[in-house]
Amino acid sequence: MPIWYFRMPTMVFGEDSLFHLKSLDERRFVIVTDRVIVSTPLLTLLKENLPEGSDYFLFSRIGVEPDFTEMSSEMESIREFNPDCFIALGGGSVIDTAKVLLFSYARPDKSLYELTPLDYLGIKEKAKLVAIPTTSGTGSECTWAAVVSEREGKVRRKLELASTEILPDYAILDPAMVISLPQSQTVSTGVDAISHAIEAYASAWKNPFSDAMAEKALSLISSNLLDVLSNPLNVEKRNLVHMGASMAGIAFSNSQIGLAHALGHALGADFHISHGNAVGLYLPKVVAFNNRNCTARYRHLNNIFQKSDRKRSLALTLESYFSEIGQPLFINETRVPVEEYTNKLESLMDLTMESTGMLTNPREASSRDVRRLLRSVVRRKQSAH
Amino acid sequence: MPLFPSEEWVKEFIEKVNENADYEDSARTWEGDITFVVQKDKEFDGNAYIHLDLFHGKCRGGEFQMNGEPPQSAFQYIGPYENWIRLINQEIDPIQGVLIGKFKLKGSMMKIMRYTRAAKELVNTANRVKTTFG
Repeated sequence: MPIWYFRMPTMVFGEDSLFHLKSLDERRFVIVTDRVIVSTPLLTLLKENLPEGSDYFLFSRIGVEPDFTEMSSEMESIREFNPDCFIALGGGSVIDTAKVLLFSYARPDKSLYELTPLDYLGIKEKAKLVAIPTTSGTGSECTWAAVVSEREGKVRRKLELASTEILPDYAILDPAMVISLPQSQTVSTGVDAISHAIEAYASAWKNPFSDAMAEKALSLISSNLLDVLSNPLNVEKRNLVHMGASMAGIAFSNSQIGLAHALGHALGADFHISHGNAVGLYLPKVVAFNNRNCTARYRHLNNIFQKSDRKRSLALTLESYFSEIGQPLFINETRVPVEEYTNKLESLMDLTMESTGMLTNPREASSRDVRRLLRSVVRRKQSAH
Repeated sequence: MPLFPSEEWVKEFIEKVNENADYEDSARTWEGDITFVVQKDKEFDGNAYIHLDLFHGKCRGGEFQMNGEPPQSAFQYIGPYENWIRLINQEIDPIQGVLIGKFKLKGSMMKIMRYTRAAKELVNTANRVKTTFG
């Protein structure tokens, strides 16, 4: 095994963990959030926990997908404010936006394309980053990656940016931030977290540290998510799923994602579908495709699911579990127009092939394999017989 | 068995690249030349340059050069001789190699990150050349 690293933020978790903000040495905060959260009590709660004598600048111009042009619009005002800490309050899009804003603030001389893990950028010399997730799934609070959209001609591409320097300093997992998460988001982000754990555990860059996080993450999520869906106000179960989701984030941040994410990113770039739903759509098919290269590992993961949820293979367990929680298994069950999807198979294949998830998938996939997987989620019409 | 690095090795490597359907598939939209820079270390005296003209999944040509100025190219993949041995023997992944500082990459990082599988296939190809190390 060659030299490798295991990176994660300082984790602050449990009830009232937002209180940790009061102990920060920083005083000039950029609070990054979205247009929905800005009108909820979550923002008020955060502001009440800022240290004495601090000042903040509110950045809330984030739509469903973080778009680089949109997020650059207030950069000048942020520079004038001269912050020493960025606080992200929101889901994956918000946290990813905060990472990119921090980079742009620290390195105005660099273009977005220069946010890569291959250079030292000195980002943290300028400001810290605190991530407070309001969903349980994206894991972005624990990763050194950020996904933002960019349009190149007619093609909308999701840029998978990464640098260890955008890893948050603190990830605060306060269950109060997720207790009122809507059912559909609980499902899509829960599926996303399950996908992180499974892809991290099978990744070509897996390691014993990421394995430990992936196993525990899958255990916490798979055994508590159904209870959360039937009783959304159960704080204890919410808390366990919330921690599991972050563990899955830590796992994949240290061993990388795989083909289901590569396919999901391509689909999400071209169509309006939540990230978790997009990745979850392909995950059972990708697991079936990969199975011959990681049979023992998938068997082990399958055994982590509770006996009542377990089928004879991980792919079948996932199909059954996803059906039960309301995760679509076919394009026909989503809002993506099937005909448009099938017309765009070639461009979806090209985008998938460009994803870094292709590199670490346990089984190498050719463009033909990718095309077949893209087709596999289109339900064939039933014959008249 | 050709010695790495040498003109004979480059010739055989190019032949293998052009036979590799997986490389052709993963690099079918790639345009740009790359230079492999083999740096001097205790086992290898001097700097060697392997310049490859890669276009749409094929290698259109290549040159081997010992010492002097490196050839002009869009990308350079740079590392000491000892690390090249480990890379060719597939003990180091080409992208992980850069992340852990065993290799350096010059050129558009963003472009390379979109062709990580092609980079891996180039290394797989190098592994298929029956190589002698000095």
